[in-house]
Amino acid sequence: MACPHLDYRESDGERSFDTARAFCTVTDEFVQPVHADICNERYGLDPEADCEVFRADAGLDWDE
Amino acid sequence: MTYEEYLDGEPVVITAALTGGIQGKEAHPELPETPAEIAAAAAAVEEAGAAVVHLHARRDNGERAFSTERFQAVTDAVRDATDDVIVQHSTGGTAAPDALRAEPLRTDPAPEMASLDMGPLNRGRRLTSENTRDTIDGLHAEMRERGIKPELEVFNNGHLNESFRILDELADPPYLNLIFGPGTLTPPSPANLQRMVDQLPERAAFNVIGFGPHQLPLTTQAMLLGGHVRVGLEDNSYLRKGERATNAALVERAVRVAGELGRPVATPAEARDLLGVVSRR
Repeated sequence: MACPHLDYRESDGERSFDTARAFCTVTDEFVQPVHADICNERYGLDPEADCEVFRADAGLDWDE
Repeated sequence: MTYEEYLDGEPVVITAALTGGIQGKEAHPELPETPAEIAAAAAAVEEAGAAVVHLHARRDNGERAFSTERFQAVTDAVRDATDDVIVQHSTGGTAAPDALRAEPLRTDPAPEMASLDMGPLNRGRRLTSENTRDTIDGLHAEMRERGIKPELEVFNNGHLNESFRILDELADPPYLNLIFGPGTLTPPSPANLQRMVDQLPERAAFNVIGFGPHQLPLTTQAMLLGGHVRVGLEDNSYLRKGERATNAALVERAVRVAGELGRPVATPAEARDLLGVVSRR
């Protein structure tokens, strides 16, 4: 499973990379490698619980 | 380690943290990620004066990797590209299970040194790197079993207490890495660095990390206090405001500072003697 906002891209129009990298379609930015573990739901991490961007986009408060 | 030892001209050990696991090429295009890139960076920092390289492993897309297989690829490439530099593997890993955290210790040969995070620290809104005592003791036991020198990562002064807890199990000199930065790290200031050093056991050696703009002033202070220093792109992306660094440029600057202060820079062989590291080169 992975975040529905996760895409893997080699370029964002300004920069390009040899290997496709994790890209957030909400922020239109490549994500930090450590954050990509949340996007990919590795190690028990979960975008709905752990990602500020996902929660803000979904209109979720932190106390929900 | 003391100011008197600085006056006596004890060599300073420079560690270069080449890549880390938090940010990647999306933040700094020169940050090495692949085994070949990390090896090239290791060769450059050894040439510049680093005695130790602190290594993380990554997937080809820059994401974190913890497997022995991936660390083996990195460490093989680094050993091939360098002459004598000490290889130190990270065992850190926010959210990663303990079983994965131990994998970097299982390369062949084992790393000469490894990091040992001494307690919890926060990242982001909900992420915590827990580093329970159970995790610490498990990793430390495996380091002892494999003859790996632990570098105790002291992210704040509560972690000094955690370090004292295992002090009797540590060979001389216990090597503590004092880390200064935002969040749950010790707030970066000269006074806080002095206080931390004042609390160290007499037989300990210490290293200092200052994140971002604190790297230069706090590592300089560490040299004056008889400590060792870590620089590199894991901790700091800039030489000065607006000017991106490279790993080698950060080591070259540390060497220049040491020279101005009259502190010799340790070779890898001298660093092994100072820190009690068993050579695997």
